[in-house]
Amino acid sequence: MAFLNSINISASGLTAEKLRMDVISRNIANVNTTRTADGTPYRRQVAVFMEDNRQIPFSEYLNDASKSLIGSGVKVAGIKEDKSPFKSVYDPGHPDADENGYVLMPNVDVMTEMVNMISASRAYEANVTAINSTKNMALKALEIGRG
Amino acid sequence: MIDRLNEKTLMLEKALDAAWLRNEAISNNIANVNTPGYKKSYVKFEELLEDAVDKFQISGIKKDDKFLPIGKDTLASITPVTVQEKFTSMRRDKNNVDIDVEMAELAKNSIKYNALIAQMSKEFSKIKYAINGR
Repeated sequence: MAFLNSINISASGLTAEKLRMDVISRNIANVNTTRTADGTPYRRQVAVFMEDNRQIPFSEYLNDASKSLIGSGVKVAGIKEDKSPFKSVYDPGHPDADENGYVLMPNVDVMTEMVNMISASRAYEANVTAINSTKNMALKALEIGRG
Repeated sequence: MIDRLNEKTLMLEKALDAAWLRNEAISNNIANVNTPGYKKSYVKFEELLEDAVDKFQISGIKKDDKFLPIGKDTLASITPVTVQEKFTSMRRDKNNVDIDVEMAELAKNSIKYNALIAQMSKEFSKIKYAINGR
């Protein structure tokens, strides 16, 4: 395992949560976009997380069973589109209204995005605390034998 | 005689290794707090020590390190064990990380680590004192 691997793990968490924030910001910014490049309304996007497991050779499993089970943090598997249907709003004056006066609005719910934003923010803070804690532990270890 | 200087610090060294490993497990849990399907892992060490000290067990003597041990090992051969808690769930997406518990564990582990470091420094100071006479 790399030296100070804990900090790499927490850093992967920071990157993932920041990417999630970017996706959430994009969703919120496009909450009223009825016309994208291909003519359809904006589709909500979701960042999908997965655990980043390094490939463990079998010999390492046998030799060092205690350490191999800890993963290497989190990575973003991809940014996928939310397949739920668009919201249909009655607005005959809108340029994009169809013949019945209904406009297809993006399937973005601002409340949901806000809650996700808070969650991402808290997770980011937790990862920062973990990095600080690891750093303090490592610095304390340097004091063995001093004085 | 020089190897006997290391006896006391051997146990401290193992406990320090276990605490560092635990820190890594907690960091991984915190990084994966929002990952669907992730199961948290934790490190067991102090309980293993307790088991080895408390119970009266049959133990075999090993002529060579490569032999498999009989019964409970000596204290010196206990290693920390990483366990994955697979069968609990906190949320609908089967993630079972409780961020409050993880932060508390982080703080506890950090304090434990600092205490072990202080203890280890004192052991070395004692040896230095014995060597120098002051």
